[in-house]
Parts: sequence; C-alpha cells; structure tokens
Amino acid sequence: MIKSFFLVLVITFANVGICQAADNEAFQVEVVTDGLSFPWSLQELPEQRAGWLVTERGGRLIHVADDGSVNAIPLQLPELFVAGQSGLFDVSLAPNFVQTREFYVSYSCGSISANTTCLARAKLSLNPPYTTSEVQQIFVAQPLRKGAAHYGGRMAWLPDDTLLLTLGDGFDYREQAQNLANHLGKVVRLQRDGSAASDGPFPTKADGFIFSYGHRNSQGIVYDAQRKTIWQHEHGPKGGDEINQLQAGKNYGWPIASYGVDYTGAMVTPYQELPGVAPPLHQWTPSLAPSDMALYAGQLFADWQGDLLVTHLAGKRLQRLRLVDGLWQVMSEHAFVNNSRLRAVAVARDGAIWLATDAENGQLLRLTPKGS
Amino acid sequence: MLRTLIAFVIAVVAGAIVGSVIQTQFNLAALIELSVPISLDTRISTIIHDLLNFSPILAAILAIVLLVALPIAALCSRKLGGPERWWFISAGFFGLLCCFAVVNYLAPMPTLIAATRSWAGLGAMALSGAFAGWIFDRLWHPLPRELVEPLA
Repeated sequence: MIKSFFLVLVITFANVGICQAADNEAFQVEVVTDGLSFPWSLQELPEQRAGWLVTERGGRLIHVADDGSVNAIPLQLPELFVAGQSGLFDVSLAPNFVQTREFYVSYSCGSISANTTCLARAKLSLNPPYTTSEVQQIFVAQPLRKGAAHYGGRMAWLPDDTLLLTLGDGFDYREQAQNLANHLGKVVRLQRDGSAASDGPFPTKADGFIFSYGHRNSQGIVYDAQRKTIWQHEHGPKGGDEINQLQAGKNYGWPIASYGVDYTGAMVTPYQELPGVAPPLHQWTPSLAPSDMALYAGQLFADWQGDLLVTHLAGKRLQRLRLVDGLWQVMSEHAFVNNSRLRAVAVARDGAIWLATDAENGQLLRLTPKGS
Repeated sequence: MLRTLIAFVIAVVAGAIVGSVIQTQFNLAALIELSVPISLDTRISTIIHDLLNFSPILAAILAIVLLVALPIAALCSRKLGGPERWWFISAGFFGLLCCFAVVNYLAPMPTLIAATRSWAGLGAMALSGAFAGWIFDRLWHPLPRELVEPLA
C-alpha cells in the first residue's frame, strides 16, 4: 500500500509536463465488463463467439464470454509469485491451438528473495466453462533475483512456430542486460516445448535462448507478417521508452545507451546512441510507460492497416503510430474512462480494438468506429 | 540560531555535492566495466549533469536525515560524553544508511539510488552523510585550533 502511494508520487512527478491525452472522438466505446483486478493481457479465442482469455496480475485466468460474462478458469501455476510488479502476465495460444488446445502463460515464479520470469504450457478444455489440464512449467529465466520489478513477460509467435518471450532486467541488475551469460534484460526465443530454438544467435551463451539483448523492461512485442519483422517496445527509466525493430543477435543498448535518466535525475549513461547498439525507431521522453502493443489489421478502421497501437500506463492513453520513412510516428492518441492507466491492447478478428485498464476495478473496453 | 541554520544549510549542500560526485563515479565505473569508453570530458560533463539533476534530491534526503540525526548526536554528546565531532560524523553516516534502507523499503523500485546497490557504494554514499555531519560541527562548534587565523 505504502509502495503504491510512492509509485503514484514518482509517476506523478516523473510526468509533469506531459500533455494530456487527446479525446476519443474516433471511437464508440463499449465497456464489455468491469470488476477485473489489474488485468494484464487479452487473447481472443479462435472459435466464433467464444470470447476472450484474460489474465489478472494476481494470478487469475478468466474467460470473458461473448456476452461479457466473466468466469474464472482454474489454473495452478507452479511457484507463482505475486508481489509488486510480479504475478501472472501474458497468455498466448499455440499456433495450432485449434488442434492441440495448448496455450502458454508467462508469470513470475519463486519468492521475494529469489524469483524470475517463468513460462508454463497448459491445455484448455474444449467447451466452457473452461478448465485447464497438463499445466507444465517449461522455462525459467536465469538467474533468480531479489525484488519484484521488471519481468518483461510479453510473448509473440514467429512464423516458424518459435516463441519470443521478453524478459526484464530486474531493475537492480541493469548491467546484466549486457551480459550474455544470463537472461536478464533479454528477449529469448523458444521452441514449443520450452527448449531453446536451434538456430539462435548465441548458441553457446545462456543455454542458447537469447535472441536479443540490452533491454530494460519490455512489455510489448508483435510479429508483423506483412513487413516480415518484429516490433518491440520497452520502458525506459525517466524518459527513453523505446520502440525497436528486433533482429536476432542485436544489442538494444540498455544500460549503456539510453535517452532516459534515472528516476533520481542521475545519468544512467552519458550516451544516447553507441556504435554496435541498434537505435530505437521511436522514443518517448518524458516516459509514457508503454504496456502493450498490437498491430492493426482489420476492417473497422480501414485506414489504420499496419499501424501500431500502443497502450500506456503513466501516459494513460492509447497511441496509434505509423511507420514513416523507417521511423514510427504518433498519428493519434486517445484517453478513456477518466484517463485510466491502460495495460493491454488487442485487435479482435472483427477489427474492433480491445483494451484493458490497469486498476483494481479494471475494465475491458471494446472500441469501434463512431456510428458503426 | 542563525549560526546553526547557516551551518546546517552549508552541511546539507556540501554533503549533497560530495555524494553526487561519488554516485557519478560508481555509475561510470559500472559502464567502464561494460567496456563503455568514458573520457575525462565525458566524466566531467556527467558530474555536472548529476550535480544539477541528482544533488537536489540527495540534498532533500540529507536535510531530513540531518534534521533528525544531528539533534540526537548533540544529545548523545551531552549525555554520554566523548568527542562531539565524532558523534556528528557518526550521525550523518548512520543516519544516511538508515534513510537509504527506509527509502528503498517505501519506494516502488528495489533501490532508489543505483550507486547504493553494492556495499561499497552504499558505504561511500553514507560517507557523504558523515562529511555533512563533520561540516556541521566544524561550523557550529569549531575547535579552538580551527579558529586560529592562519599566519600571513
């Protein structure tokens, strides 16, 4: 509670000067459901009108049916650790979910003195009310660390059915993001059984899992099938949130190159860019705290194909960015529900945009064009 | 009273400056360990940046610490005896140590000031509190020899 109060203070002072988010005149906003406790991720089920899987940071996996009704899905995660920023994070369906019913969840595991980001695989029953089975922890990021901050935890599937998982630097271990001997501050690439992809860029380092390094705390990653590339964003400290184009083996700079400074005002590094460090394709200073990302493809917002939708926590807005001359530019931004912190964004098959607000009484919002 | 106030302000400012310079060295040392080149010019510009941007926060922390710790040191000196100077130096050192622990407990991040993540950094930063305590007592109750005018 006290920590939360300080967090509000820090965020408030860290964002003095940020302009307020613009209106949401572009959307018809439907509150699908509320009463969710800090929802973290959204995953639409593939069957028609089957609804969504939603995670709550406290550890609950829930099913939000097509009519907005909410049902908890029993899920016993091995060693789940909930405190501070830790808990249940992302949920993602296996590429062949329809056949196998397999899904993946990222979460923090361990204890306050020794914890890390973990990945589990499970199976979802065929029909609601859903149940889970064969829950298996298949990856544990190394090493275990103290504290409850910076876990990453977002996932994206690549066309070869390997899975990218973002991992945070653990806050106090920022220099380790440059150390290829561990998983702190990395994006790792796994096969569906949790083993390392066989053609990783560092086969002899950290058991071959590392895909890219030099990340601080990445909570947004998407594969762009149209452009055949990977977009990722990450939190900077005070300033210096970034969007990157992820490529195997590349160094994304944290903490040796950053557009941000420490929360105390101290310089983390004197360099914004360095040779051998991939520069961001967009950076936010002051920080907005990007929390999730989706690539728009759908019929409802016909002009937005290929644009990135980014939710922000401290920034309390949804931004739409477009790739212009190789850099991402903010095209529009939108605030919702009394300027709520936004935790997750997804694009539904029908082209509607779904958002989750970051609150004790979190809401799911469905956005469609006004007048649709 | 005015003398006490002036001594306090100078002690806080001096401690914050020294502490800021110390923390910059720890942060740069961590980068050098990662093979990041840090020239003298870069080091100086980083020190200046941190003096302008970090030291006000440290000064605020130091002011709170000394407001509590110095009266306790004065009381201990009076009741328990021993050299007053060392009571004030200890008050600044241990006061800042305690304050870092409390701030890290309350703040959302595990460690607010990165330089205090290691024991060496924590001790070095606490020395800036000791320095502030020394400055305060040096100005508040200077020793007779410290009042002697230097020979021309």
